[in-house]
Amino acid sequence: MTLPLPATGRRLMLLAAAVLAGLATGSAQQQASAPPSSPDNKPASYMGSETCQTCHEDIFKAFQQNPHHAVDKDKKRGFENNACESCHGPASKHEESLAAADIRQPAKLAPAEADRMCLRCHQNQPTHAGRIDSSHAKNQVSCVACHSIHKNGPRGLVPRTAAAINEQCKGCHTAEWASFQQPYRHRLPEGAMSCVDCHNPHGALLPHMMQASRGNEPGCFNCHGEKAGPFVFPHAAVNLEGCGACHEPHGSANPRMLTRPQERFVCLECHANLPTTTPAATLGTIPPAFHDLRSPRFQNCTICHQKIHGSYINRDFLK
Amino acid sequence: MRILLAFLVTFPVWGQAPAAAPDPTAAQAPAPATAATPTAAENPAPSTEPWFTGSVDLGFRWITGVEGSKDAYRSIIDLDQGPRLFGIDFTIQDPKKRLFDRIDARGYAWGDPYNTAHVEAQKNSVYDFNFDYRNIWYFNELPSFANPAAPNGINENAFDVRRHMLDASLDLRPGKRIIPYLDFSHSSEFGHGFATWLQDAVNEYVVPIQPRESTENYRGGVRFEYNKWHATLEEGGTTFKDDEQASQSGINPGDNPTPFLGQTLSLNNLQQVYGIRGDSTYSRALFTATPTSWLSLSGQFMFSQPRIDVNYAELASGNLALASSLLFYTTETGLATGAAKQPHVSGNAGFDLRPWKRLRIVESWMTDRYHDAAFGMFTQFLQPVSNPQAILTNSLPNEQVVNYNQQQLDVMYDLTSKLTLRGGWRYVWGNATVLAGQLSQSGSFASGTLNRQIGLAGLTFRPMQKLSVNLDYEGSSSDDIYFRTSLNDYHKARARARYQATNSLMLQANFTVLNNQNPSPEIRYDFQSRDNSLAIYWTPNGGKRFTLTGEYDRYTLRSDIAYLDLTSFTSAISTYHENAHVASSSADVALPGYGGMTPKLTFGGSLFVSSLSRPTQFYEPMGRLTLPLHKNVSLYAEWQWYGMGEALYLYEGFRTHAFITGVRLTR
Repeated sequence: MTLPLPATGRRLMLLAAAVLAGLATGSAQQQASAPPSSPDNKPASYMGSETCQTCHEDIFKAFQQNPHHAVDKDKKRGFENNACESCHGPASKHEESLAAADIRQPAKLAPAEADRMCLRCHQNQPTHAGRIDSSHAKNQVSCVACHSIHKNGPRGLVPRTAAAINEQCKGCHTAEWASFQQPYRHRLPEGAMSCVDCHNPHGALLPHMMQASRGNEPGCFNCHGEKAGPFVFPHAAVNLEGCGACHEPHGSANPRMLTRPQERFVCLECHANLPTTTPAATLGTIPPAFHDLRSPRFQNCTICHQKIHGSYINRDFLK
Repeated sequence: MRILLAFLVTFPVWGQAPAAAPDPTAAQAPAPATAATPTAAENPAPSTEPWFTGSVDLGFRWITGVEGSKDAYRSIIDLDQGPRLFGIDFTIQDPKKRLFDRIDARGYAWGDPYNTAHVEAQKNSVYDFNFDYRNIWYFNELPSFANPAAPNGINENAFDVRRHMLDASLDLRPGKRIIPYLDFSHSSEFGHGFATWLQDAVNEYVVPIQPRESTENYRGGVRFEYNKWHATLEEGGTTFKDDEQASQSGINPGDNPTPFLGQTLSLNNLQQVYGIRGDSTYSRALFTATPTSWLSLSGQFMFSQPRIDVNYAELASGNLALASSLLFYTTETGLATGAAKQPHVSGNAGFDLRPWKRLRIVESWMTDRYHDAAFGMFTQFLQPVSNPQAILTNSLPNEQVVNYNQQQLDVMYDLTSKLTLRGGWRYVWGNATVLAGQLSQSGSFASGTLNRQIGLAGLTFRPMQKLSVNLDYEGSSSDDIYFRTSLNDYHKARARARYQATNSLMLQANFTVLNNQNPSPEIRYDFQSRDNSLAIYWTPNGGKRFTLTGEYDRYTLRSDIAYLDLTSFTSAISTYHENAHVASSSADVALPGYGGMTPKLTFGGSLFVSSLSRPTQFYEPMGRLTLPLHKNVSLYAEWQWYGMGEALYLYEGFRTHAFITGVRLTR
């Protein structure tokens, strides 16, 4: 099946072509920008963290409170007393020349290289179990894009407070942050919640890097436990399409963060009373009621169908 | 709470005590380079380091009075006036490292409708303890979300509840490789509100309710972390209860003022009690391995089996009617029992293969399947005025079966060191059996299938250190979908660029588009959303005098889909169109200082302006002046304005000023 390419798609294709056209230049620049080879081809050697302290006293002191300080005792990987060089590489040439070019700077490495460096130690940890599927990894958002080894205070590799976490995430996810400026929203701008309450930035089993609750349920149920069920009469949309079938999870101009301003249209767009003859879209199309929607009694469906997420008593979600 | 109060009372004394303590942020600031001494190297935590550092923000908020809808104000903002503990943050370090190395604690917005507390305690190589507590009040009473013609102006969907959430976790570190852990979390909601008691289809009565539900989650496990592999084994359990109650006394005419067969209906008394009990156990196994430098493996398996037992009772009296039997009665007793069980299995597996340095292949597969088997019985005993008692029983075995599968292949190729191309394919398939949407309580089941092929493409381009560009595209043609509004034939694209123009100026731009079509003649779904955003981060001169962050977002949404207009019984189009401008910003200005101290002015806020289907304006501008009095004491004053207006729901607009004055103490 051939799909017509929308105007946006065509523009993207043009942009991609332009980018590819610039590759030759990029390759040439890459060669030109390669660091000059040292006249002394002897590989650099480890000098020890105390040597680094000589010039980088402030960083060294702060590092003593940093979780990575434990690397200084890592005999197994050969990093004992070489915590600084475990990330920055052997420093003997840098010590001689004092040149920044003679030391590895993780923040300036290509993302894949930076990740490889971090994953030497962090590869096999539960946090990274979903990393293979995570869009952060696929989009080359490297570890050091979020984890700042020397900043964020003595304990911090990442911000710890909800407000600071949100500040960091919005640095890239500006559109998502804009959603939280709408009147009906989860309480992120107020600092009562943070992005990582719902999303696992390292990756997750569920789509959208969603946190899980109770093992394998969507993370929404961590707070909204009463909507998890199991119900005697579940609402199929909740399980098949998730909360996003009816709600804008970040924020909305519509009450209760609904996808439509008038509640009945959230319902009627699925429960349209128009039978489908195509194989597609077979669930929920043919119910139910023939209420007079001109009456204010029937304009908000959940006035009566109040257990809309699932009912223990009534198939029509009335009790 | 008492400990917290005691701490608050004594904290100002500590805060003003002469202390040799440096600014707690000193660790982040560049310090003058001094020659290292062997002592400093051997004693990384100098004894001069304070054992206690922290800050506390105390203040008072005034609200000038809400103009417009107080209910809408409470539903969206809900800030009241009075004394507040806006923030507390402290760290305790034990130089002798006896019970703990350090404790970090913080709490925010105590006295406001959303307050939080967090404690972290750790002792190296022994334990890590985390405690998180949140108390969030939810108030919601919006006439547009109810029946605006309801008698007495009571809103059927209103509620005023508190949600408490806490989580405590403990990681033990007897060794570096094997890490046992425990976790407990609790979530509960209680308060009051209104709901509807339905009496057949004839009338519905708004009744006060008391929501009472809570969930506890316990889990524990062991992590094995080795260089080449890792495994986590976890067992958990959940308990749940829902004891919502409703009670009403006095004559309630209901929503329908029209007499039924000449009789005026009313509810005189109601007692309604839910007794829902649930529990669940689950098992989880997680595995990752790196057998070689060019291959990573990972997999998860989870099995849970939640179950619910249902007990429900209601006792109602009044002048009630059963339309289907043309029966009038005065008393109704309803009893319901039921049970549901839902075995749920999820798993995924994948590998990340790097056969050559430039090529990366990621393959993943996941499945999620459950079977909700349930049975419910609802019996009503209706007592007419003069006829014998009528008994109505509805019983229904029910099930919902959902199987979801997904397979995805991504190939990433570093064409050059600056350009990575991505391509891939995702196949999603599944099936579901659910209750068919029918009026009858004993209706049949409906089945649906899901079959979707999705093409993936993208690139990451970093022509220089200062510029990165990311493009992502996915397009799909679906053979089967579950719902009319599901993704069907769709294109989704996203472009993201970040440019560090100078050392002090960074720009970020995003563009996202989603186009979803379902041309089936009964559906005619046409959905398109576009989102463009631009952000600027400017910190001239390292932010010493001025910093600015600003974001602007423009989005448009257009959704049209066919449905049956029940007033004319003809096909109509449900239209939702929205154009919105969103902006937020924050600027810090360092004002001329005195005595080595620098006052600071902060201003910014956010605005949201939308048009078309639900035109809305929502503004939250703010300004704040901070005046340091002493190196450990500063005063601040803040102004914030909250205003919302809706062209179609003028009665839900509101505006108010909020003023805060407070003191911040640091040590």
